[in-house]
Amino acid sequence: MNKISTRQATFVYIVTGIILIIFMIPIYLILASSLKPSADMFSRPPTVFFTPTLQHYVDLFTLRPFHQNILNSLIVTLGSTAFSVTVGSLGAFALSRIRHPRINDAAFWILSMRMFPPIAVVVPYYIIFKSVGLLDTPLALIIVYSTANIPLTVWLMKGFFDEVPEALEEAAQVDGYGIVEIFYRITLPLAAPGLAVCAVFCFIFSWNEFLFALMLTGSSAQTATVAVMSFWSSDAVQWGRIMAGSFIILIPGVIFVLTCQKWLVKGLTLGSVK
Amino acid sequence: MASVSLTNVVKAFGAFKVVHGVDLDITDGEFVVLLGPSGCGKTTTLRMVAGLEDVSGGEICIAGEVINDRPPKDRKIAMVFQNYALYPHMTVRQNMEFALKPQKLSKAEVDAKIAGVAGMLGLDALLQRKPAQLSGGQRQRVAMARAMVRTPEVFLFDEPLSNLDAKLRTQVRMEIAKLHKQLGTTVIYVTHDQVEAMTLADKIVIMKDGYIEQIGSPEEVFAHPKNLFVATFIGSPSMNLFRMTVERGDKGPVLSSAAFTIAAPVDKSGKLTPGQAVTLGIRPSDVRLARAGEPGAIEARVEVVEYLGVEALVDLRVGTQEFIAQIPAGERPAPDETVKVVFNQAGLHLFDSESGQAL
Repeated sequence: MNKISTRQATFVYIVTGIILIIFMIPIYLILASSLKPSADMFSRPPTVFFTPTLQHYVDLFTLRPFHQNILNSLIVTLGSTAFSVTVGSLGAFALSRIRHPRINDAAFWILSMRMFPPIAVVVPYYIIFKSVGLLDTPLALIIVYSTANIPLTVWLMKGFFDEVPEALEEAAQVDGYGIVEIFYRITLPLAAPGLAVCAVFCFIFSWNEFLFALMLTGSSAQTATVAVMSFWSSDAVQWGRIMAGSFIILIPGVIFVLTCQKWLVKGLTLGSVK
Repeated sequence: MASVSLTNVVKAFGAFKVVHGVDLDITDGEFVVLLGPSGCGKTTTLRMVAGLEDVSGGEICIAGEVINDRPPKDRKIAMVFQNYALYPHMTVRQNMEFALKPQKLSKAEVDAKIAGVAGMLGLDALLQRKPAQLSGGQRQRVAMARAMVRTPEVFLFDEPLSNLDAKLRTQVRMEIAKLHKQLGTTVIYVTHDQVEAMTLADKIVIMKDGYIEQIGSPEEVFAHPKNLFVATFIGSPSMNLFRMTVERGDKGPVLSSAAFTIAAPVDKSGKLTPGQAVTLGIRPSDVRLARAGEPGAIEARVEVVEYLGVEALVDLRVGTQEFIAQIPAGERPAPDETVKVVFNQAGLHLFDSESGQAL
């Protein structure tokens, strides 16, 4: 490999910096607005220097059960992520290893679950959950999110499992292991980067989801995204609280991605077979 | 240690048969090499013994027990894979421990076994490394260590040297031979390299298109090939072949072609009838330069001379027929010279041209 010249490095840094700024602007606006007194919110020109206040954050938790909404979001998100990654990777392992002429049809059928527009199934879901008494429960959202997350996990993980040489599993078979042990002691550890990717995708999708959460939950299972929207009422839009809530919603995703980051390192399979 | 026997073993993928009724008896402690060109079914046969492929028909026994339907873990075998198949997320030591874990030994026993095998293969200094940090030869040794540490009844090797460079291959080949001598375990070894087969095997099984062509000791398959395939597959450079017709001569049958006529080997003359089409085979090492005035010499033109140090390979031409002589380098002629050569009587092989079977 050639060494990157100083000029190239400078160029890369400048471009990265520009992209970073573009991405950070909305986040800055959210943070700044959440700390601005209501009076400064829409002043023109926008105030750059202001006395920050935590009033909106305090309101969020005192006037509203926002901590409950966050907890609901966490339950739903972690539940769906854990379930999807578990079931999805098992399914992906099967799809990756079973030799059958129609196996690709099965894989496509699973993917097709992801193709319908969510709005088309909101009403059927509503009716079904109402009839089984799951409306306004975290379980309903876990189920709904999993139907979207599992196909994604299956397809992503299948790619990662395909990369794990079957010779390793055969070696483990000869060494005296059954299929279950081989899966979680050999194959899964080697596909760990894939698992991390899937978990991040599932987490972000579930955490940010709005439509199903709005339609299928009421007061007790309401998630944070929907709760933030409730500050938008017919007589007033409480921008300060919306921004404060939005900023809090941003945090878990960042923490989760940073936690998974060390697993996102590729190259674990390097050197296993030549 | 155990004997292995295959009785009429068949492997078919749907209607497509890749192994056609293989019969093979391997005695306790024997080193058997399955040899053949790629696609001959040798690896499939080995994988059936390992339990990695289902057996479509026939029986495989290890130590007298039919093991067709047993999973690999219940067959008391260990296998060294072509690409080593080391667990990349484990160190050398963990690779060996992983292989031992199902045996549920005490920690002391595990440590002792690993130390023993690591010492034998010179891996002591590498135990804490991961496969990615090892050279090709070291990985190969780790793969063997992982197999050995389990003290199996039968070792299976699937082309274990094919990823090594030539020098290392010779070295590891010797190590394998030494280990077999030391351990005395039954070995089934798959390769397409005849040198490996000849040097390692007690018994060579030569396969082609899913059939066994010949089973025998290295000496047997070299000196008495059963058919044309074995004759040309074993030996390097490969055997010279001449299409000949049997004719009546003064002192018994002679073999004749447009280029030359020679007396048929005495021990085969009873099996020959005039007019029969036969293929005469002679190894390059059994072709030598004729002494002055030696009877039965064939005049040939030298096309190319390949000097190999001790020996030289001489490409000769008689009429349209080309063949190779392997002679001491000091005697080698110059290209375009005309020389007289004779065939060693003992080295003549006769095959029926139609069936390819030895006469």
